[in-house]
Amino acid sequence: MAEFECRLKKYRQLKDLTQEQLAAQVGVRRETIMRLEKAQYNPSLKLAVDISRAVGAPIEEIFLFP
Amino acid sequence: MKKNQAKLWIGCGIFCVAAMLLSVWYAVTFNNSRLVTPTDLGSYTFTPKDLPMLLSVSLFCIYVFALCLLLMVNIRKRKRSPAGANITRRINPRLGLLGLLGFLGFVGFWTYPATGDVSPFVFFLFFGFFGFFYEGRMSGTFMDERFRENAARAQLTAYKITFRILLVALIVLCQGRLFGSLEYTLIAAVIVLSLTLALGIFLPEYLLYRYDHDDQAGEGEE
Repeated sequence: MAEFECRLKKYRQLKDLTQEQLAAQVGVRRETIMRLEKAQYNPSLKLAVDISRAVGAPIEEIFLFP
Repeated sequence: MKKNQAKLWIGCGIFCVAAMLLSVWYAVTFNNSRLVTPTDLGSYTFTPKDLPMLLSVSLFCIYVFALCLLLMVNIRKRKRSPAGANITRRINPRLGLLGLLGFLGFVGFWTYPATGDVSPFVFFLFFGFFGFFYEGRMSGTFMDERFRENAARAQLTAYKITFRILLVALIVLCQGRLFGSLEYTLIAAVIVLSLTLALGIFLPEYLLYRYDHDDQAGEGEE
């Protein structure tokens, strides 16, 4: 799996969303959001775009690949 | 399926089994066990006393056929419904107990020396039903992309393991000299095939459960 840094937690908290709410918005399980925040799951492009729209931040700001 | 409908199907099943048992009792008691003991259909001639047995067997066959048809219709309906498509099917984990039927395979070690029958070894296949235990624990789970990825990974791993075992078994058994007997080789082939297929049924469910729950291990709510 590709190594990357994920700043989802920061942007999610800025939007005042819980993991459960964000998961419901983007159509995944809460566990998937947890894994994403720990950078332990590499999301599909569609999920990344959905998350980016949900938290209102650009993809490249949320997922940082070296 | 609605509860009333399920009750109706179970009731019909009980009726069919009861009719079968009754007709077997009738045939054994009043009809010299005709159609109960193995019958040569080439020289078979109909007598009115065979009617209960013929009717109950036909009824049972129709019931099993209708049950299979219902199962297929329900599977097709479920696939078409968008609501059910993203949720794993609901299964009671207790169905995993059906895996215990796999132990019936050991009956083959008794029937082979006694009657030369090797078919009971196929029952080892039922060990695969232990997978229902894990499927049941994952039932009703929303299938997001990570779940589907894990499911595909589990399926792939299970296939790899199964095919490796089959390959090794094929190489060993195709020599046909196991224990110096072709017959023993056939028995070993039936056992290995049944057990490997059982593993192929069980492993995807088990691995999916493991992947999903290992992922969750150590995760906490924010």
